[in-house]
Amino acid sequence: MSYTTFNPKSFDSTKEPMFFGQNVNVARYDVQRYPIFEKLIEKQLSFFWRPEEVDLSTDRKDFIDMPEHEKHIFLSNLKYQTLLDSVQGRSPNVAFLPIVSIPELETWLETWAFSETVHSRSYTHIIRNIVTDPSVIFDEIVTNPEIVKRAESVTRLYDELIRLTSIQNVHGYGVHTIDDVEYDCTLWNLKCKVYLTMVSVNVLEAIRFYVSFACSFAFAERAIMEGNAKIIKLIARDEALHLTGTQYIINTLGSGADDEEFKEVAAACREEAIALFAEAAEQEKEWAKYLFRDGSMIGLNAQILSEYVEYITNVRVQAVGFEEIFPARQNPLPWMNAWLSSDNVQVAPQESEISSYLVGQIDNSLEDGDFDDFDF
Amino acid sequence: MKVGNNTFYYQYEPSLLDSLEAQEIQAPYNCRAGYCGRCKVRLLTGEVKYLDEGMVDLKEEEILTCICVPKTHIEIEIPED
Repeated sequence: MSYTTFNPKSFDSTKEPMFFGQNVNVARYDVQRYPIFEKLIEKQLSFFWRPEEVDLSTDRKDFIDMPEHEKHIFLSNLKYQTLLDSVQGRSPNVAFLPIVSIPELETWLETWAFSETVHSRSYTHIIRNIVTDPSVIFDEIVTNPEIVKRAESVTRLYDELIRLTSIQNVHGYGVHTIDDVEYDCTLWNLKCKVYLTMVSVNVLEAIRFYVSFACSFAFAERAIMEGNAKIIKLIARDEALHLTGTQYIINTLGSGADDEEFKEVAAACREEAIALFAEAAEQEKEWAKYLFRDGSMIGLNAQILSEYVEYITNVRVQAVGFEEIFPARQNPLPWMNAWLSSDNVQVAPQESEISSYLVGQIDNSLEDGDFDDFDF
Repeated sequence: MKVGNNTFYYQYEPSLLDSLEAQEIQAPYNCRAGYCGRCKVRLLTGEVKYLDEGMVDLKEEEILTCICVPKTHIEIEIPED
């Protein structure tokens, strides 16, 4: 069945699975199969911020004063973050929207991807502020072999899923041979790809991003590049929501509560899913060596960052029901928590949106008797 | 409340997590707003009251320390880091 932008059939969307059911028709949220997505959307909208709200004028001076090897760390990290958000700003939409079957999940995907585009805009804001010619930095994202290598692994599963669902959209379910290449577009294989893609996205958001956050915050721990850290803190706040979303989807699919067959899919893909976490952890450790190849910075070096990679990987695999990959260890960067906590986004109210502040929120819990003791 | 072998009093800190920190008990956290799930601990006995709606899928005995306070005497188990 090919994709339709407005499914004319009448059906109960609360009975649909997350993926590969009916195409969504009415975007209604009064009845929901998964209220968590509505909560995520509301939270994400309340988090809305604009990069221009953060002043970066002192970062420029800090950057100019940095020794060369620290400039390398800072810029490489920023390039990597730019790559990750370039992928995330579009891929959830392109990969998952054509196959989603639940309105609240469909809207969450769009809200999620939109927030990633804000992140991408903020990298331009940062880069514009610290260098005179941003092209030098942006152009290298597609030519630097270290970054290209990582781009391949963050996009591989997305691209495979998109390729197969595109073919399925035209040719239907089944194994199809096109130009002598065989494509397995059976529902089983598509479900495997969705599950693994979701794991790969979780790896991207829950491990890769956090390693890059550690570098950004390490500069700010020394009271330099603080504007950048303020932006990254807002990005990290969004990413925590996104990873909650992907963890929820992975766990729900894996439990079979959404679609019985997904339980078998998750079991069949278990080893491959764990391998995705392990592969990413190795790549991040390699990346740490590349970042610090010319020298460390105060508070962070390749060794500590690698230890953080192992720590965060363990936390993330456990959250989706797998065994720890690395020996258990304490958080080697305990100061990260202060940066990752949403309560501590320290900006003046007029500078930025406050997560707890919602426009138009009125306390309606008044009883008739509440003014009884009130005299004019 | 009881954590492992330590017993102490909840002294009206804003959240159970704040209370643990006030007692210098290491407890995991990230967002402190109920959406990242990092502060998940096991509630062995007792009841807690939620101050905000969490967004994390919890097993029956799990609670989010950042958005709840004790309602009765409680005993919790913090996962190993």
